Amino acid sequence: MSTGRVLPTAVDRPYKYLWLEWEPEFSVLTARICVKPIQCYSLAAMAELQQVFNDITANPGLVRHFVMASGVRDVFNFGGDLSLFVLLVRARDLDSLKLYARRCVDLVWWLENAAQIGVHTTALVQGDTLGGGLESALLHHNVIFERRAQAGYPEVLFNLFPGMGAWHLTVRKGGFAIANDMILSGQIYTAEQLHRAGLVDLVVEDGQGEAALEKVVRSAHPKLRGILAALQARRIAAPIAYESLQTVVEHWAVSALRLKDRDLRLMERLARAQVRKVGGAGEGAVEEIKKIELDTAWGFERTGLSEWSTLT
Amino acid sequence: MAIQSNDRLLATTMRHPAILRADVTQPFFIDLVSLTDEARRAFETNPRVLQIVADGLSVERYRQLLLELYHVVWHFNPTCAAAASRLGDEHAEIRYFLYDHMMEEKGHEEWVVNDLEVVGVGRQGVRQHRPSNALLALNGYNYWAADRRNPCSVLGMVYALEVIASVYGGPIAAAIKESLLLDDERGISFISSHVTMDAEHMAELRVVMNKVSDSGAKEAIIESTIFNFEHFTRLLEAI
Repeated sequence: MSTGRVLPTAVDRPYKYLWLEWEPEFSVLTARICVKPIQCYSLAAMAELQQVFNDITANPGLVRHFVMASGVRDVFNFGGDLSLFVLLVRARDLDSLKLYARRCVDLVWWLENAAQIGVHTTALVQGDTLGGGLESALLHHNVIFERRAQAGYPEVLFNLFPGMGAWHLTVRKGGFAIANDMILSGQIYTAEQLHRAGLVDLVVEDGQGEAALEKVVRSAHPKLRGILAALQARRIAAPIAYESLQTVVEHWAVSALRLKDRDLRLMERLARAQVRKVGGAGEGAVEEIKKIELDTAWGFERTGLSEWSTLT
Repeated sequence: MAIQSNDRLLATTMRHPAILRADVTQPFFIDLVSLTDEARRAFETNPRVLQIVADGLSVERYRQLLLELYHVVWHFNPTCAAAASRLGDEHAEIRYFLYDHMMEEKGHEEWVVNDLEVVGVGRQGVRQHRPSNALLALNGYNYWAADRRNPCSVLGMVYALEVIASVYGGPIAAAIKESLLLDDERGISFISSHVTMDAEHMAELRVVMNKVSDSGAKEAIIESTIFNFEHFTRLLEAI
């Protein structure tokens, strides 16, 4: 499977945050998201992704396989734009939080319905992914993780919850107990743990993600019509309703507005940790979350002095 | 005429990289956030800003930053006053917002002076500081926009500065405090105190922004926000 650089005209647009690749043999469109310094779903990146989805929908049969991947080394996606959340929460702007959430749900809904428009989807996760990033990965028909990739829903650590489909998707793939554990603990999981929980379909060695993707596409392509029909039937058997997604994001927006200054400062701390990692001077957001977990579990109980207490 | 104005608003926003549509039926603050998000992220992702957030500043560069900030603060109220004096009666609520805001900001340049004293710069040094070209351009634009462009453009300046203070002020203050081993809030009182104070202002600003209905004013506010983000970035690059 060779990746061509020439995109079909129908999807060829100048994007700032997406790198599109086209593989003509199996009609595979790969979108690599690249938002720096923190790989996240910024408003502009989401607008570009929505444009790609609109182009695919407007040209039935052109794209048979859609692949979501990352253009940033060691990170798949960290989900929501934390600095935008801080801005909107401090402005007490419920309307804009809902607007952001609705744009997320529109993307969720397109991926949820991809089989119906004849598109088979795969997430290729070659680095850490958190919150909305994990939600977006789980939406795909196939989820491939490289072994080093870690993931989780850390939102509860700053008194929020993942609102863009986490409950729906995690319950559907892993079951209620797994969803409960992941969302309420805020813990970070290894690729292997996520595979055992049924959330990840395939774990491959580091650097083997592209080869695994090719195998998945090659294997699915000859029986694509059957797979897509089965996936549509899966949606009927385990449906996710648009209204339900909307209701949850409305609740998410209201909950976000209740965040306290301490919670916002914790978000800033995570963002800063990631910035330091990009600058080569730190361990990044995932390690920072682990420190916060330990801090919460031990530091405060044992000494009453933790980084949490300094945030108040 | 209304349609032409809305077209102009769209034309302004389409000139900028954030290809997001303005929706005249929704509150203006949402459009402002969406249509200027690229400029905000350009500030956030500027290598110099990233470096400050990651590593803080040397004492010399922090002095430079405070000296520049002194002139931002010192010209903030006169710019607001210039805008308030030109706002028509139909914008009485914006005028009152500016009056209240000026009262709250009055004297804050002294906080900068106090921080400067902690890091070894006396009043003489403050008086002798010549603002950078980036700062002259920023202040010059804000006076010109209030005077000639549209007095409502001042809200773009207020929005950009409050986003910078309330969203990025915390991490920047924490980084500077760590890098200079400063105790408590001594030396960083201006930046630290504006994190929470400007959060309150942001909420008030959103309310007043949502009362702006005329398209010419909206266009001027968006332009001013983008300009202020861009030139505040230049200011940080210059220190």
